[in-house]
Amino acid sequence: MLIEIRNLTKQFRKGEETIKPLDDVTLDIDRGEFVSLMGPSGTGKSTLLNQIAGIDRPDSGTITVAGTEITSLSRSRLARWRAENVGYIFQTHNLIPVLTAYENVELPLLLLPFDRAERRRRVQIALEAVDLVDRASHYPRQLSGGQEQRVGIARAIVADPTVVVADEPTGDLDTATSNQILDLLQRLNRDLGTTLLMVTHDEQAAEIAGRKLRLNDGRILEAEHSLEPAGSQADRK
Amino acid sequence: MLKFLPYILKTLWRHRARTLLTFSGAAVSLFVFCFVVSLQEGLDRLTSQSDSTLVVFQANKFCPATSHLQQDYDQVIRKLPGVSEVVPIQVFTNNCRASLDVVVFYGVPPQKLRAVRDFELTSGSWAEFENNQDAGIVGQAVARRRNLKPGHRFSIGEVTVTVAGIFTSENKAEENYIYTHLEFLQRTPGLNLVGTVTQHEVVLESTADPSRVAEQIDERFRGGPIQTDTRTKGTFQAASLADLVELIGLTHYLGYACLGLMAVLILTTNFMSVQDRIREHAVLQTMGFSGSLVFLLIMTESVLLSFAGGATGILAAVAVLANAGIAVSAEAVSLALTPSFPLAAIGVGLSIAIGVLAGMLPALAAARTEIVPALRAA
Ligand SMILES: Nc1ncnc2c1ncn2[C@@H]1O[C@H](COP(=O)(O)OP(=O)(O)O)[C@@H](O)[C@H]1O
Ligand SMILES: [Mg+2]
Repeated sequence: MLIEIRNLTKQFRKGEETIKPLDDVTLDIDRGEFVSLMGPSGTGKSTLLNQIAGIDRPDSGTITVAGTEITSLSRSRLARWRAENVGYIFQTHNLIPVLTAYENVELPLLLLPFDRAERRRRVQIALEAVDLVDRASHYPRQLSGGQEQRVGIARAIVADPTVVVADEPTGDLDTATSNQILDLLQRLNRDLGTTLLMVTHDEQAAEIAGRKLRLNDGRILEAEHSLEPAGSQADRK
Repeated sequence: MLKFLPYILKTLWRHRARTLLTFSGAAVSLFVFCFVVSLQEGLDRLTSQSDSTLVVFQANKFCPATSHLQQDYDQVIRKLPGVSEVVPIQVFTNNCRASLDVVVFYGVPPQKLRAVRDFELTSGSWAEFENNQDAGIVGQAVARRRNLKPGHRFSIGEVTVTVAGIFTSENKAEENYIYTHLEFLQRTPGLNLVGTVTQHEVVLESTADPSRVAEQIDERFRGGPIQTDTRTKGTFQAASLADLVELIGLTHYLGYACLGLMAVLILTTNFMSVQDRIREHAVLQTMGFSGSLVFLLIMTESVLLSFAGGATGILAAVAVLANAGIAVSAEAVSLALTPSFPLAAIGVGLSIAIGVLAGMLPALAAARTEIVPALRAA
């Protein structure tokens, strides 16, 4: 298993009451899977995603990714681990406004031991994957919403991470653009074998995933598998 | 760190107006600071001047116009042990009080001038000076202020000299004086000065004990018609500038205040810049930027801003100090404001230090950003 989540619990205190978005969650995700995570707003989808992405910590339980138990890493080692292993696609693209599309995509590579030429090569590939080579020198404000999100996706995949997480990546986009983005994510999973975990509350969006999960009352429910089982995608990589 | 430079520079440029204002504030601060330090340096140069020269003045007199010593005291002083040379000097100034544009004439026996001063003529000639009674050589700073060239005639009150040359000196204060023939100044119409001088400058042998010789000189004239007060040239100049010395002490605080102001300005800018980018820093950390890297990025921003502003102020100050020939004078002693390497180096060092200090807290705040709450905040 690529990702092993064991007995994960996370709770927040809201004034008097305590809410428990994650209550003893146990879940495995295989390499090359495309998993969608659904559920009504406020159920804890983002909270789970953030645990897997290593930007938040559980109250108890463990997460092991490719053999590394990330829940026990120090703050700085966890940062290093994220640089090498996680691509994060935000709902609002969160591009750096003063950097060009090219520079935004290059940013995660600056943390890794790549020389200039290697960085250039990788950025090129990532921009090709999202079909934005001709927009490389544009600034975010010169791009459309869909293009911005595609730059965000390129930035998430450029370092060839172990897992890519996406938190409602189409939440801010119109239907047509959403479909483009979903197509793109599907292609990345299918053609590059990227392991993808996507949070969405859009049933239709969830459909494109090979495996559909639902979060309810702090617990994960496995929806029926789609026709193509997740395992076969893993084999292809 | 170099890889991140484009990001840092573009970030600084993001709020151009704010960056430029802070930059200007830093520049003005260092500009003023350099002036203050230069004032102090000028004073230190004057007061620490070699112990091996004494100035003999009339006792209990302050302004040069009131000091009258017998010219032939020089013969007596010359014979004292430890004395190698005595130069009688008549001083004439248009203003005895502390002021910016003071003209000071030093009348000396022309043949002795080159022995006791290191002057180099940048124009004109020594022969012209030595062979003409009304000739004067003019310090570069005065020449620049008054726009004087060889051949010009120049008057202050009853004194009119013909410029024979312009000189420079290692001792920048000297460049604020005009040297004439002793006799010429003594014969100034309206002043009955023949046979008397304002002061004697006594050059000692290197082995002589300055305070010992000074005592001997004053002792020698104690019973005479006019009593003397002999001090090393440094002490004499410090006493002449006494009023200014206190003022310069005060300007120190002005200099420090400027630095404090600059630190606060840069601190404010850094805090604004960090607050603007809470979300951005959370995004960077999500990507894998460590807290310490974010810290370094902000620190670099702060130091760059502080250094660039400070260095600009220093350059401007050095340019003005080098070219304007500014001097403050009192009682015929001039304090020259000149640039110096230590001055520039101290300025650069302080600019960087202020950048580091002012960057610390904002950088720490940014480095400690909790990722998830920062991302959730709209
Ligand atoms: N940092 C936090 N502090 C307090 N409450 C939080 C925090 N993060 C999430 N929550 C709460 O936890 C619940 C789940 O949040 P979230 O994971 O964002 O839900 P979802 O992504 O499914 O909409 C919500 O009720 C939210 O208010
Ligand atoms: Mg959410």
